[in-house]
This record gives sequence, structure tokens and C-alpha cells, in this order.
Amino acid sequence: MLKPLPVRDWNYAMAAHLLNRAGFGGPPREIEALADRGPESAVNFVVDYESIPDPTPNPAWAKPDPDRLKKIREVNQRGTPEEKKQLQREENQLQRDRLMELRGWWLQRMAVGPRPFQEKMVLFWHGHFATSAEKVRNAYYLWRQNELFRRLATQNWQDLLLEAGKDPAMLVWLDQAQSSRQHPNENFAREVMELFALGEGHYSERDVTEAARALTGWTLDRAREKFVYRPQIHDAGPKTFLGRTGNWSGEDVIEQIIAQPQSARFITGKLWNYFAGQPPSEELNTGLAAVFRASGGHFKPLLRTMFRSEEFYQASVLRNQVKSPVQWLVGSVRALECPLPPPLVSCGMIRQLGQDLFAPPNVKGWDGGTSWITTNTLLARYNDAESLVQGTLPPLGAGDLGGKTKTAGGGKKALRFLQRVRMGGVEVGKILTPEERANQSLLVVSLERRLFQSPLKGDQKRALLDFLASRTHLNDDDIQAAIRLMMSTPQYQVT
Amino acid sequence: MKNEITLQTRREFLRTTVLGSSLSWTVPAFLANTLTALHSEAADSATQIVTGSDATILVVLQMAGGNDGLNTVVPYANDFYHRARPHLGLSGDKLIKLNDELAFNPALSGFKSLHDAGQLAVVQGVGYPNPSRSHFRSTEIWQTASASDRSEPYGWLGRYFDNACAGSDPTAGIAIGGQLPQAFFAKHPRGICLNNPQNYRFLSKGAGTEESYRKLNDTEMAGIPAEDDNSGGSIGSLAAGMPMQGGSAVDFISRTAMDAQMSSDKIRDIAAKVQTQAAYPGSQLGTSLKLVAKLIGGGLPTRVYYVSQGGYDTHTNQIGAQARLLKDLGDATQAFVQDMKAQGNLPRVLVMTFSEFGRRVSENASGGTDHGAAAPLFIVGNRVKAGLLGKHPSLAPQDLHQGDLKYNLDFRNVYAGVLENWLKTKSLPILGKAFEPLPVV
Repeated sequence: MLKPLPVRDWNYAMAAHLLNRAGFGGPPREIEALADRGPESAVNFVVDYESIPDPTPNPAWAKPDPDRLKKIREVNQRGTPEEKKQLQREENQLQRDRLMELRGWWLQRMAVGPRPFQEKMVLFWHGHFATSAEKVRNAYYLWRQNELFRRLATQNWQDLLLEAGKDPAMLVWLDQAQSSRQHPNENFAREVMELFALGEGHYSERDVTEAARALTGWTLDRAREKFVYRPQIHDAGPKTFLGRTGNWSGEDVIEQIIAQPQSARFITGKLWNYFAGQPPSEELNTGLAAVFRASGGHFKPLLRTMFRSEEFYQASVLRNQVKSPVQWLVGSVRALECPLPPPLVSCGMIRQLGQDLFAPPNVKGWDGGTSWITTNTLLARYNDAESLVQGTLPPLGAGDLGGKTKTAGGGKKALRFLQRVRMGGVEVGKILTPEERANQSLLVVSLERRLFQSPLKGDQKRALLDFLASRTHLNDDDIQAAIRLMMSTPQYQVT
Repeated sequence: MKNEITLQTRREFLRTTVLGSSLSWTVPAFLANTLTALHSEAADSATQIVTGSDATILVVLQMAGGNDGLNTVVPYANDFYHRARPHLGLSGDKLIKLNDELAFNPALSGFKSLHDAGQLAVVQGVGYPNPSRSHFRSTEIWQTASASDRSEPYGWLGRYFDNACAGSDPTAGIAIGGQLPQAFFAKHPRGICLNNPQNYRFLSKGAGTEESYRKLNDTEMAGIPAEDDNSGGSIGSLAAGMPMQGGSAVDFISRTAMDAQMSSDKIRDIAAKVQTQAAYPGSQLGTSLKLVAKLIGGGLPTRVYYVSQGGYDTHTNQIGAQARLLKDLGDATQAFVQDMKAQGNLPRVLVMTFSEFGRRVSENASGGTDHGAAAPLFIVGNRVKAGLLGKHPSLAPQDLHQGDLKYNLDFRNVYAGVLENWLKTKSLPILGKAFEPLPVV
């Protein structure tokens, strides 16, 4: 159980697996560099990312803005209906623009930032604490939450759960901001157990009610845009929660949840599923939970053990995970060494493929796995591949570009803007040697190594060679078309 | 393996019948019977085998934004109505009167014709307990048929596909639009969405690229196991979106790729060939319903279509904005019904509208209304129980809940009626709780 993979089994394919799963993949030279390190050093290089500086600047607006809030308050108190409406319009537009910038900022960090594993963990936490802009409607709060996930990405579970609960976006998302002694709101109290830390069946309805009472007082200081504890709305009376009675506070609730043995099973099982692409067996989950508990609920020892383990590199795990839309886009850009399309296009693509960042479908987040693949998302992946490789605009509708159905005409402006967007495309000369470009067999082998890290099936390879053979003289357009075709296969959709 | 159809068989089946390039649009009954016999497990259970030619069809029409029910079906004789709406209250000869108390908004002439023909039901006062005034949340509640204090991951139509459509092809549900509606979210998604049939395909610029794409996605070429292999499950587990069940992710995607290829060919073929008879408005809704009419006319075995009309969030200057939307709604629906009649498909088709909430009884200061609660919805078809169904909610101030109408009928009773009486399936496993089915047909 969880024995380290023998050094002799470590090779290019295993290094690629680690880079793909604990990050977003990379070009052959990155895979080779990881392969050369050997498994121990490779895993440490990935997990101990703090030694690599990340100088990414924050968005300019990523701070509290008391002046804007003051203005909003004044208009709302004294303004005419027209002024209020005008301000509302401006505010909506401002938040939409910032949200788009935020999505682009994060995708860029994943695609070219120096710490892909940290970003992959941020993406895990975003899916886990699935908070949506549809309700939160505040780009600063969403950025703050994203930064929280980055800061505590691989730290301590109890610290993260506590801070995530006090996070402004979460306070709005699960209505804790509205909870009070007189009217305790059970939304966060329920989800913190059901979805975040224990899973269904490991708490009672009474526990939900009592936790909601204990959590009262946790609220949002809207003027300062941060968490505040207000003792006057806290229910200080005795509560019985998870079998213990006392005058529990919100902090006590989090502490008692984490103290449940189930909490280690729950989060380690979910992490394994995220990285290995399938839920762990009961036995493996027990092993993972034991490692996690032994380290006092710190994630790093667990992650190190996971990425070193034989189980992580077994045949049923390798190349058997459906790429999420983000993995597909960011991974493609990294493998092909081409630019990430501008935010409007990148976000349009992943939204069309079913993963709108900062807008998960519901509090449970994205289902992942095979649910990413439907006939239409598959066709969209194949068509988006053409856009990425050949630098053409993808076939995006107004809805993909952020149009809202409840307001007529949403997204049309974006559609007009799209016409001015410049796409990059793949530079064939950058990723292939002159010899590879001149020889069809070498070309296919080189691209297989870059795109799949494993060979295509015989008949598929023949189909591809037939395509290349139908060209009298291979030019860059033909090679781009061949890359696009390789990305338009079932095999390219997994990692 | 007795009850299982191998991938090979299914491949042939799809190719030659439901989605393949055969000359016939519809599936001959003997093939449907063959399929049923081959899959007796399906025949024994509540599972439905689609036949394409005789199964009932549901068209769900979303009126997004929260339609003001009180100015749609107007209680024109009610004093409380006019007191609450001194500027927005509708009265006068232009109203399309249904009886001594209620009238359609003047813009709903399309609905008036349907009403007179006995093809329209007005279901009054529909809502749910503890209503949410958030667009996002209330839409989610309607789409997932959840209680307002619970979150459901899957949509009510998705659960219909999961529970009642195992064994059908990947186009059990088709949503016209850019995004799959939450109502279609399913454990084993069987719905597709398309904006423009021209984009629901492999697009390519270079010559020969599409041919190579077909070869690369051919399941035989990809070496996807057919017979004698555990990864090729029963036909139910082969439909698009089904979990791996022991097979690999690539096998699963390969099967979906095949479905995509064939359904895309079929849909484009139909969109190009099938002619519609009626004059639709040029609006998004009109275009959507026209496409639905073509797909139905082309014989797709789809059971549920989903179209959407946006713009009902009328906080300001409601009168003109809502009239334009309702005119579009009535005219587009009327054209669709004419088309179905001309095709001979009208007896198979039922249209049901919904909106996430109605609006506040009292008008606001900007010539509009704010988010409210209960509202009417509409059901259209020639087998519909026509006329006014349910009871209009009281407008008396003491009967309101925080200024909103109280619902008389839970929308899940309407869903139960549509599921039980129209789609002929048990509603309990889909709605998760017993709801008395509203007799809609």
C-alpha cells in the first residue's frame, strides 16, 4: 500500500503522467527534465514549489474600494431612480469586465506561470468550494477567495476550512452573511459538512441546525468588504453538535468537524480522485487518510506520498482521465508552446466545453470525468483545436461569450469585439525540427510524443499518414492540419 | 450477455436506422420491436424504447428573467390589482377577455387563437414553498425540481433521461441554444444542445481533413473492443455520456465520437431538407421553434426539446418591453402549432412554458415590477386540457406574502402531470417525492 514507485520504472511516460496530473503538462523538454531527475527529486520539484518565485502581479482593482462603496450608498440613499439605475448598470458592467480579467489572469497563471502544481491545487479548491459569480457578483471577493486557495493550497486542512468559511465570497455564496441568532441560516452549516468536509450520512439534521446556531455572528462587513464577527447576533446558548454539548462557536464547529475521522477519509478520497482520475478503493482511502492524519492534517506529506506511490502509476490510472476543459485548453497551449487566446476567447471556449471558471453549475461543483464529454462538447473540442492550432476564431455564440439569457441581447457586444481579436496559432518551426518537417514518419512520431506521450493505434496512424501522403509537398498549413487532426481524436481528450 | 447488444450491433443499428443515412426518416416498427426484444430488460422495466414515429414529444419553453404573470393573464376586474398598479394596470377594450375576471395581455393574440381552438391551458398560480427571489437560485429550483432549501445536481429532464430513456440514442433531449440547460444535467447525459446546426459538426478548412477525422474517430480503427469484451456493455450503458463501467475513458469517448458524427450528419441533413410551412417571427424564439419543427418533421427520436426566450426581467418601463416579448411568444407558438398540424405531428407534441418567478403585485417607481413569486404557466397542444386550470391567487393584501402572490399549485405537480400523462413515465423516481399529477391532457 502506497509503496514508492521503483526508480527503474521511472521514465518519460511516468514523468509526463506526473506533469500532466500534478500540473497542466508541458512540452517534451519539460517532461525530459523531470524524467532526468528521477522520481524522488521530480516529485519534490513539483510539490515544493515555494522555492520558485512567482512574480505575477495582482489585478489593479484587487483591493477594497471604500470610495466606490460610499458612492453607491449615497446614490442609493439620495439618488433619483434614474441615477440609481445608471449606477447599477455601471456597477454590473464593472463587475463583468473585472470578472473577465480575473478569468484571463488565472488562466494565464496556469498556462505560463512558474508553479503549475499550485494552480492545479487552486483549481481543485475552486471546484471543491464551488462558489459562483452568478450569486456573488463581486470580482474582488472572487479574486480574494482565489488568492486564499493559492496561499493555503497545500497547507493545513483545518486552517483552510476555517478561512474558506470566513471568506467574503463564501459568506455571500452560502448566505452566512444573512444568518443571525433570530434567523439562523442553515446553508453554510449544511454544506460545510455535506460537501466540504464529511459527506452525506455522517451528520444528522440536528447537527445542521445546531451548527447553524453556533455559526451565527460570522458575517460580512460590507463597507470594509471583509469578514466580521458580531457578538450581538451570535447565539451563545448551549448546542449539541456531533455528539458533544457546549456553548459552541463557529470555530468550534470547524474544529469538531475536522476531528471526525471521516473528515480525513473524505478529503483524501476527493484529492485522490482529482489527481488519479478515479475514486480510491476503500483500502487505499484508509491508507491515504492514515498518512494525512499522521501529518496533523497537512497536505504536503499526503501529496508527496500520492505522487510517489505505485498506485498512482498503475496501468488503470495512466492516460485514463478525461481532461477537464481547463486542462484541455491550458494543456494544449503548454504542449504546443503557443499563446493562450485572449481572455474573451479562452473563456468562451472553456465555457462552451462546460467549465466556466468562477461559475460552477451549483454548490457541488463540476462532476468531472466522463460528464465533460457529450456529443456537442466533443465536437466543440475538435473545432476549438482548429482555432488553437491554426489561429482562427472559434465558432462561439453569444451565450459562450457571457451573454445572459435573462437580459435580451447579452453577448452581442462581445460578439462584435470578437471580430477584432487576434489569435496566435502554432508555430510549426518552433516545435518541430527541419528533419521532422521533411519526413512524415518522423513528424508523426514527434507529435505523438508531444501530444499523447504514447503511440496512436495502428489504423489511426495509417489514416494520419494517408492524410499527409495526400499532400504533395508538406507545408506549415498541412502540418497544422495534422496537429489539429491528432487533437480531434478520443485519445487526445484523456491524460 | 444474453440481454446485451454489442457495440458492433449498436453501430450497425445506429448507422442504418435512427441516426444513420438510411432513406427513411423514421424507424420502422419492426426494428423498434427487434430492439425491444433484444433488450428485454428494457422492455420489462419503465425504460422506454424510442421509435421516432409515434412517441410523444415535450417542448419546454423557458421565459427567462421572471415574467410578470399579472400583466400576462390580467385580473382586470380586480380592484386590488388596479390599486397596486396605478400606472401599469391594464384595462380597456384591447384586453383579450377570457371571462368576467381574467383577460390576456393585448399582445397575446397568438395565445387567443390557440385558446379559442381549445389548444391552450392556462395553469394559474404556480410556484413553490419558500420562494427564492434570486434569478439564479429560482431558475435552479425550477430546472432541478428541488425543494427551495435543497440543491440537486441533476435537472428534472436529466433525471427523466436517466430513469426512462435508457437505451435511446444520444439525442433524447435537444436544447436549442449555446448552453445545455441545467434541466438537462444528468448522471448519464443524453441531451445535446446546438445553436446553429451548421456548427454542430466537424468544421474544417483544408481539403481531406474531414475524411481523415472520420477515419480517426472510427471505432473500429481506434480499436475499440466490440464483442467478447467487458467494456462493451449493454446498449443502455453505451449511450453518450454514460460512465465507463469498467471500460476505459478512451472507449467511452470513442463511442460518444461515433454518436456525435452520426447525429451531426443527421441533424444537418434534416435542417437542410425539411421545409417548414408556417410564418415564424424572425426572433430568436421563432428561429428556435422553427428548428425544433424541422427536427420533429425530420423524424428525430427526440423526446424533449428545450427553447428559451429572454428579457422578462422588467424592472423598468415594463409595458412596451413585455408586450413585445408576449407578442413574440404568442406568434412563435402559434406558428409552431400550425407547423406541427401541417406535419401531422400535432397530436404528439406538447409545449410547456415556465418562468423562474412572477413579479411583485405592486408596481415599482420605475414603471416596472420587481422579483415576485407565483405566476401562471401555459401548456399548448391539441390534446391539452384546455382553458383555465387551478385557481388564481388572491390579490387581497392580507393574502400576500411579503407583497407577493402565494402559489396555489406546486410546479412539481405540473411536472408530475407532464411526466405521467404525457411522457407516460412514473414521476416518483424523477421528482424524488410523490406529487399529485396535474391532469394536463
